[in-house]
Amino acid sequence: MNIIETAGLGKRYGRTWALRDCTLDVPGGHVVALVGPNGAGKSTLLNMATGLTTPTAGRVTVLGGVLAGSPPALDRIAFVAQDAPLYKNLPVTDMLRVARFLNLRWDAERAAARLSRLGIEPGKKVGALSGGQKAQLALTIALARRPDLLVLDEPLAALDPLARHDFMQSLLSEVAAEGISVVLSSHMVAELDQVADYLIVLGRGQVLVSGEVSSLVAAHGVGLEKLVLGYLREASMEVAA
Amino acid sequence: MTAIAVQRVPARTRRVPLRGVAWVTWRQHRAALAGAVALLGVLGVYLLWMGLEMHSAYAKVDACHPAGSAVCHNLLQSFNQRYYGTQQGSVVSSGLNAQTVPFLLLAVPILLGVFVGAPVLARELESGTFRFAWTQACGRVRWAATKLILLAAALTVLAYAFSQLFAWYFSPFLAEGKTSKFPMQLFGNLGVDFAAWTLLAFAVAAFLGVMIRRAVAAMAVALATCTVLDVATMMALRQHYATPLVVSGNNPPGSESAWLLGQWLGGPNGQRFYPSNIPLSVQNSSNPDAFQNWLRTAHITQWWSYVPGSDFWRFQLIEGGWLLGLSALLIAAAIWAVRRRAA
Repeated sequence: MNIIETAGLGKRYGRTWALRDCTLDVPGGHVVALVGPNGAGKSTLLNMATGLTTPTAGRVTVLGGVLAGSPPALDRIAFVAQDAPLYKNLPVTDMLRVARFLNLRWDAERAAARLSRLGIEPGKKVGALSGGQKAQLALTIALARRPDLLVLDEPLAALDPLARHDFMQSLLSEVAAEGISVVLSSHMVAELDQVADYLIVLGRGQVLVSGEVSSLVAAHGVGLEKLVLGYLREASMEVAA
Repeated sequence: MTAIAVQRVPARTRRVPLRGVAWVTWRQHRAALAGAVALLGVLGVYLLWMGLEMHSAYAKVDACHPAGSAVCHNLLQSFNQRYYGTQQGSVVSSGLNAQTVPFLLLAVPILLGVFVGAPVLARELESGTFRFAWTQACGRVRWAATKLILLAAALTVLAYAFSQLFAWYFSPFLAEGKTSKFPMQLFGNLGVDFAAWTLLAFAVAAFLGVMIRRAVAAMAVALATCTVLDVATMMALRQHYATPLVVSGNNPPGSESAWLLGQWLGGPNGQRFYPSNIPLSVQNSSNPDAFQNWLRTAHITQWWSYVPGSDFWRFQLIEGGWLLGLSALLIAAAIWAVRRRAA
C-alpha cells in the first residue's frame, strides 16, 4: 500500500509555484525523510497530503487511494505541523482532552504513560513548556490517536541538539513497536541519517529523487548527507546553466 | 470476472460525537462567555437593584386612593422625577435614570457579540492552531459549525434573558404611559431586538475573523460595521417595515403607545403647506386659537402619519427576522470560508 500517491500535483500561490508537477508513490512501512532547502515545497506537499491545502493542479491520495483530507484520511493520519501548534493557554491535561474529543480513536493510557515517562507535568500550561517538551507533547497526542500514518513537518527545527536527539530516539522506538509509517520533513539532513530508510529530495518545487536509502547509498557509494547535497547541487547547477 | 480494484469503503462513516466537540467549545471559550456574563451581570445587578426600589415605590403610587387627589398626583410626580428624570434640561445631564439607562444599553449587544465572536476563528488562524484543529478526525466543517452554532445560541439566550430583565425594570413607565415602545432606546432593548442584534454582531465578527485572520482587527472592523448598520436601521430603515397609517385631525392620533412619524398641512386642493406658508399674522398672533381658526377658514387639514402601538410586535418580528436571517447567512459563510481556506 502506498501511503502517499501524487500525480502531476502542483500548488501555486499567486504567481509562484510552491510545488510543481510532483508525481510520487511513497510505499508504506518506512520512515520517509522529505528533505530540501527552505522554500523547496516540503510544507506545501505535506499540507496537501493532510488535507490542509487543496491542490492547484493534479491530485493526491493517501493510505492506498483515500482522498487526502476526507474523513477516513483525517481519522487515520496524525499530523504534527511546523512549530507543533497547540493551545498555549490550556493545561496539558485539557490539551489532551481537546485532542481526545476531536478524534474517534484515542489511547488515553498511552498518552498518560508517555507524558510521565517524559516528566511532563499534566497540570502545567502548554505555553510554559520548553520547546522540546512541547514537541514531545505534540508527538504524544499524535501517537495517542493510533494513526496508520504519522506526518511531521520540520519537527526538529525549533529544538536544540539534545532535544533533537531525544525526540528522534523516542519517535523511532515508538514507531518500531507499532509498525506505522512515518513521513517527516527537514532541512537538516545530518539528523536524518540512521533514522530514515526512504528518501525524497525536493528542490525548487520539484522532486529531485525518491527511493529507498539503502539502494540509493549503494548505487552512489556515499552517505545520505553527501547524497542529498549532491542532488541539490546538481539541481542548482542546472538552473544556472 | 468481478471487479478487484474496488476501493474498500466503510459501511458507515463514524463521526466524532458532538458532546465532545461541545466540551472543546466550552473549554476554549468559557473565558469569553464568563466575560459576557460578567458584563451583563454588572448591568443586571443595577437593573435589579433599581428595579426593586422603583417597583416598590410604584406600588405605593398605584395603591394611592383616590387616584385623582392632589396627594396621589404629588406622589406620582415625585416618583417620575426621581426615577424617570427631570423633564427639563438635557437628558444626558440628568444622571442614571430610566430615560438615560436605555441609551447606554443600546451599545451592549454589539460590544457583547463582537467580543465573543471575533476570536472564535481568528485566534486559531493567527496562532496557527488551526493546523492542529483541522487535521483531527472531527474535520474542520463539523468543528467550525459546532463552535459557531453553540456559541451563537448561548450568547443569544443570555442576551434575551437580560432584555427580559430590562423589560421588567422599565415596565412602570410603560404602564404609566410615559412613552411608546418605539423610540430607538426602548425598541432596541425590548422584545427580541436586543438578542437579535447580539446574534448579528457575533456572526459579523466571526465571519470577519476568518476573512481578516486577526482577532483584534476583526473586532475593530466588526464594531464599526455593526454600529453603522445599527444606526442606519434606527434612523432610516425601521420606520419602513410597514406602511404607516395616515389620518387627519387636530390632535395626534392613537394613544401614547403610537409611533408618530410625520405631520403636515394639506390645502383644499391637496397642496402641501410648510411652516413658512403660515401667514405671519397667524404665527405672531397672541390668540391661542389663531392657528386653528386659520386652518378652518382656509380649509386646511392637519395630517398625521403614525404606527399604532399594536404594531410593536410586528415591527419586532420583522427586525428580528431579518437579523436572524442575516446572522445565519454570515455563520454559513464563515463555515464555508473555513472549508475553502487553504493553509
